[in-house]
Amino acid sequence: MRLIITATMATLALASVARADGERIAVFTKNQTNPFFQVVRLGADNAARQMGATVTHYIPTRPDSIPEQISQIEDVTVRRPNAVVFTPVDFKALTPAIRRLNEAGIPAVNMTDRAERGNFVAFVGAADYDLALTTARYLFQKMGGQGNVVALEGIKGTLVSTERMRGFTDALKEFPNIKVVATQAASFQRLAALQVMENLIQAHPRIEGIFAANDAMATGAIEALEAAKRQSLVVGINGTKEAIDAIKAGKMLASGDYSAFLHGCFGMMAAIRNLRGLPVPREIVFPARVVDNTNYQSLDIAPDQMTCPAWDSVVTPGRS
Amino acid sequence: MTDLGLDRRAEVTPAPPMRFMTRVAAGILAAPVILRLATVLLLCACLTVATPNFLTEMNILNVLRQTALLFLVASGLTLVLIGGGIDLSVGANLGLSACVSALVLQATGSLALTLAAGIAIGTLVGFANGLLVAVMRIPPFIATYGMLWVLLGITYRVMAGESVHGFPASFRFLGSGHLFGVPVPVYLMFLFLGVGGLFLSRTRWGQEVYAMGANPEAARLSGIPIRSRQILTYTLSGAMAGLAALVLLARVNSAEGDIGEAMTLPAITAVLIGGTSLFGGLGTVSGTFVGALILTLVINGMNLLSVHSNWQPFVAGAIVILAVLVDRLTSQRQS
Repeated sequence: MRLIITATMATLALASVARADGERIAVFTKNQTNPFFQVVRLGADNAARQMGATVTHYIPTRPDSIPEQISQIEDVTVRRPNAVVFTPVDFKALTPAIRRLNEAGIPAVNMTDRAERGNFVAFVGAADYDLALTTARYLFQKMGGQGNVVALEGIKGTLVSTERMRGFTDALKEFPNIKVVATQAASFQRLAALQVMENLIQAHPRIEGIFAANDAMATGAIEALEAAKRQSLVVGINGTKEAIDAIKAGKMLASGDYSAFLHGCFGMMAAIRNLRGLPVPREIVFPARVVDNTNYQSLDIAPDQMTCPAWDSVVTPGRS
Repeated sequence: MTDLGLDRRAEVTPAPPMRFMTRVAAGILAAPVILRLATVLLLCACLTVATPNFLTEMNILNVLRQTALLFLVASGLTLVLIGGGIDLSVGANLGLSACVSALVLQATGSLALTLAAGIAIGTLVGFANGLLVAVMRIPPFIATYGMLWVLLGITYRVMAGESVHGFPASFRFLGSGHLFGVPVPVYLMFLFLGVGGLFLSRTRWGQEVYAMGANPEAARLSGIPIRSRQILTYTLSGAMAGLAALVLLARVNSAEGDIGEAMTLPAITAVLIGGTSLFGGLGTVSGTFVGALILTLVINGMNLLSVHSNWQPFVAGAIVILAVLVDRLTSQRQS
């Protein structure tokens, strides 16, 4: 009798563990080409492992393809995972797809890039505007508040590029003696930034600072500067491994930390906590942090060696 | 509908030998390179007036170096277009070649292996395209479009979302080094400008590519092995994409999955601006050089003048339309 009770209790315990455990989460990222999202995915995987959930990744084969992500959402609505962690490839275009997800009753966490509309458990990400504002402000301070600066924009019309340029422009207002000699688009790409900078170097004999809206463009600009034996303070945004290496080598001034790994960690944790009935704030926005040669160490680790921090160490109750 | 059917039959009927030979001759001689060179000079004159920084030694070397990369991809593509085909996979081929070469360089540190890997992959992919088009008879547009996705898939898998960066100076010499003050890619550009020009105008194979592009049926009937010539053009285009991949890699010092994606359209554009016909049989490598130069000059000029970047795609697009328009007008006059 006693044995039976114990066995029953053990079974019950196992069953309850199994119920809370093994949630199936679908994670949507924008492409397989940007190392940023690879780190995001590693963060999500790490958090899922810690919490005992299983992950399926959905990534458009064609980078940032709207139709592909829409059909992936449709597939997922049919397959019905317990929750979805979602980065839209486009601010607006995915709205109908998200509505389907909502109608199907699958809870979703919005990660990294904001979706224009839709019901989400939470938004987890960084604020592009704050990040750009802080990073540009840091650059202008290091320039001593004066001199010529060049801005390299990302893909025109994307929310990320627009917000980052808005941050740059607002930081500029605080420094009346900084002069923008050129603002040119280089589409977040290294080669484009390299060639644009080669051209701009011809036109402008003095460039004290370069603000690039991402790290790939920053490293492209650095190549152009080195080839022309010119010196400028260069900042980028994202805190990629390549930028960290450049900062370490003294070639790059700083990068705004986009906290890729944390996006994945906390996007996943928010989804699982919500399923388990634990509180999740509506907004988890990581503070804008500038990474320079004094504090790069925390990012100087291979992403697959990183571990997600505990929920409570980052998200404090009541924080918006 | 009936008219269309008749027309198609008329196309299949072999043209009289004389007319066929004239078309081939016209294909070789008629591309109005002079007109395009005049455009370049006009552009340069305007830029010299507009900005004091244009006509400097350093900027000219800059423009040539930027042209070189585009030209290397576009020169191989020129052969494919002259032969009546199209290769939409050049950018993806370049991307895969660059990524694998970067991984080989990182893993072995061997310069020879890296160069061999880049060229070999580019060539193999080109050969595969050739087989799909010539042997499997898949229309070039579809075959190479399919290949584009196959290659992207492999590239993403190979790179696993990571990037490889920081190459030794010995390798970087290929893309960012100088010899006697002139960037290395510029030498490569002029080398292949010569080789490509000689191949097309002085060799039997070159002539056969024109004949094939002008009228495949007539070319076949006059004894030209169409399939092997098609395979040849795609293979050469692939090899050039592989070489360009190495130059690009050495220039930007970093590889990630999307490294080649921005190259396909500019390369096709350069070929078209250079006067090569989308329908085959017409075009020159020197025309493509001028086409690549025009594209580069336009961007260079707009950067120097700090033209708002919204205008850059507009202007580039307008130039393509204009170039094809000029082409239509001049070719109508010829016929």
